[in-house]
Amino acid sequence: MLFNSYDYLVYFLPIAALGYFALGRNPRWSVGWLVAASLVFYGWWNPRYVPLILGSIAFNFVVALLIQRMRHAHAWMIAGVAGNLMLLGVYKYADFVLRTLAQTGSVPLVQLHLALPLGISFFTFTQIAFLVDVARGKAREPAIANYALFVTFFPHLLAGPIIHHAEMMPQFASASNKRVAWDNVARGLFLLAMGLAKKTFLADSLAPLVAAGFDHPASIGAIDAWLSALAYTLQIYFDFSGYTDMALGAALIFNIRLPINFDSPYHALDLRDFWHRWHMTLSRFLREYLYIPLGGNRSSEPRVLANLLVTFLLGGLWHGAAWTFVVWGALHGAGLCWLRVRRREGRRPLPPPVAWSITFVFVVTTWVFFRAASLPDAFAMLRAMAGFGHAAAAANALAVAAQGTIPAAFALVAGLVVVAMPRNSNSMTRELSASWLAGAATSAVLVAAILQFGHVAPFLYFNF
Amino acid sequence: MWRRSSTSISDDVAGALSKRWRAWCWSVLAATIVALAAVLAVNALVDPFQQYRLASTHPPRFYRLHHRFIDPGLAKNASYETALIGSSIMESTRNDTIAAACGGPAVNLSMPAISASEIRTLLGAVYLAHDPRRVVIVLDFNALAGAPDARQDDAGPLPTYLYDANVFNDLPYLLSGVVLRKSLSVLLNRNDEAFTTDANAPWFWANQVTFGRAEVLRGLDLRDLNARFRQPARTLDGMRASFERNLLPVLSAHPDTRFDLVWPPYSMLVWLDFLQRDQLDVTFAFKRYMTQAIARLSNVTIVDLQAHDEITGNLDLYRDLYHFAPQVNEWIVARACAHIDAEDASNVERYERDLRARLAAWQPPVVGSASWNR
Repeated sequence: MLFNSYDYLVYFLPIAALGYFALGRNPRWSVGWLVAASLVFYGWWNPRYVPLILGSIAFNFVVALLIQRMRHAHAWMIAGVAGNLMLLGVYKYADFVLRTLAQTGSVPLVQLHLALPLGISFFTFTQIAFLVDVARGKAREPAIANYALFVTFFPHLLAGPIIHHAEMMPQFASASNKRVAWDNVARGLFLLAMGLAKKTFLADSLAPLVAAGFDHPASIGAIDAWLSALAYTLQIYFDFSGYTDMALGAALIFNIRLPINFDSPYHALDLRDFWHRWHMTLSRFLREYLYIPLGGNRSSEPRVLANLLVTFLLGGLWHGAAWTFVVWGALHGAGLCWLRVRRREGRRPLPPPVAWSITFVFVVTTWVFFRAASLPDAFAMLRAMAGFGHAAAAANALAVAAQGTIPAAFALVAGLVVVAMPRNSNSMTRELSASWLAGAATSAVLVAAILQFGHVAPFLYFNF
Repeated sequence: MWRRSSTSISDDVAGALSKRWRAWCWSVLAATIVALAAVLAVNALVDPFQQYRLASTHPPRFYRLHHRFIDPGLAKNASYETALIGSSIMESTRNDTIAAACGGPAVNLSMPAISASEIRTLLGAVYLAHDPRRVVIVLDFNALAGAPDARQDDAGPLPTYLYDANVFNDLPYLLSGVVLRKSLSVLLNRNDEAFTTDANAPWFWANQVTFGRAEVLRGLDLRDLNARFRQPARTLDGMRASFERNLLPVLSAHPDTRFDLVWPPYSMLVWLDFLQRDQLDVTFAFKRYMTQAIARLSNVTIVDLQAHDEITGNLDLYRDLYHFAPQVNEWIVARACAHIDAEDASNVERYERDLRARLAAWQPPVVGSASWNR
């Protein structure tokens, strides 16, 4: 189920919240209700994968018990992590590996064509972190219902944030969280409205401009290419941070505080700063469960740089089973290595405007690999951005931008203004007051966004 | 992140704050619900795409680009005994023409580039509220191209929620801002987009275009006749799978309905195109298969109008390779419902030989100095 759908906003969320608080006198019923609701949410489009996620929960819960109660905890932990990675490998990476092997000419091409279960990367990482922390003695075996809710809680289930048991379990276990807290409901509604606005008015409106460039990278000019790349930079931010706002908002209605995931990432003055602001819970996961176990900063300098590079290569691959993501991760890893070397050499920091410009252009440019359909397409796009494209087509994207319900050109300008604003949705939510103006704005945005869902597109084939 | 009321403030202040937030929440929710309910009421009452009733308080608006939204409304709410379903080539067929030839009242539910999967979905809407006596399906080979569930989703997904009987999933229609603008333009009597109010010819476009040989040949790439429409290549297995998934079950499930499956008279240029793209044999093989597939269904007749070169070879009757003039539409429904040129396993090969011979003998028009690529 999508957050920006009628099914979710009109039926699912109100019913889930009403049931949760109605059953609040009995916390176990409340938790059970929320687990059931989350499974309905998960299986709404395709119930085929509900047994898969239930199996994954049961597997990890049992492994956690074995780690705690049996000897050789470390071995059980490795077995558990391997099991999770195997699941992820089969569903997400098997075809990529088989295709890559076939391209080397060593084996014939065989593809499994398995549909990727929704949210598998997120619920797998969440549970890997849990097993590692159980083995480290940082986490204790929870009640099975609370553990199931920890994994399935619908606001974070499909696209994060990647949560940590230490910050979630006490909230799921708290009896007071099963009673309505109106300030949380208010902030939840406000965040929900903010997220919907980001997704509906900005991210979705930018899509034609993005497609204009990325769908035809070999036949566009420099202006088109830069416009498309910039539009994608904004689209992915508003899409993902909008989704996260909706997730945080929905969770807050249930008195659950999910960790923030974005903190004005395009304000970053260097790449390190960027990764402290972009998909923060993934950065945290990679740092705690990959970079530090690899040795982190407490190694020789070449080893630290290698650790950084490996962490970001795998981070790139986590986003998708394609070489474009690997290159994207590698570029960010290399950028961070370069920053570290500069810092170790005692170089002075660049003036903020210069530092910001370099960082932003680097981020925009590397997004090309993230969005392009293939490496050749990405290189074609970069060639066009460098001025070696087909300048004759330079007006195409601008023409597309002028079309649409909310023209992409308007969304592009509005998006840049929003990105440049000093306050983001986190700070605005924190400082929300119970004023009529805030209420009217929240209601107006909710209504306007919901009216945008029902897209009635003309069928232009008629113009044959 | 967001901290609850500080422990330093008194319970009274906390209580007052909580009440204030509660009032704020209820105000926001109430304002949102009232606004959305108002939109829903306006869209449901005006019902610009006629999903719940045919327009009676205002002239109906048949928007030229919104077949996919209006057709299910017509399928559910119009009064008819005969339904015509086809692609854009059949849109310029008036309801009374269909009724006169096939028995009435009748409704034309054609929509551009309709796929077999979309025909199945549309027939689902037809049988929700009707048990039609007759359904004429003018089959386009391209409707059977691609995967069996393929739909023409270039303009967004088919609004399947309008093709069922469940009103609870109609919110994308009832709460749509675009539909609200349509409703308001009806109420304010504004014309925001091209439409016709002629309920007898809701999709008629033939009066807006020019027919004739010059029009057909304008800009035609003789070496690549498919350049303009970019029709996909078809395979026999793919077409069979699509037919067996989308049409055969419906034909079998409604023995009381007479189904007339019509092969329409494309211009000869289409057959040349098939020849260029190596699609001729697969096309004939599928026609032979069809006669076998429906042989046991006494309620189904195939009518093959493709060998009539007095029509297909006369480019003055066409606008382009595929789309013919309205008199051809009338000719089609008349022959289809009279079962003239009925095709079955006993004569399908004769029809094929006939068409192949006419194709071989046909002299394509000369266009400048360019030559045809056969």
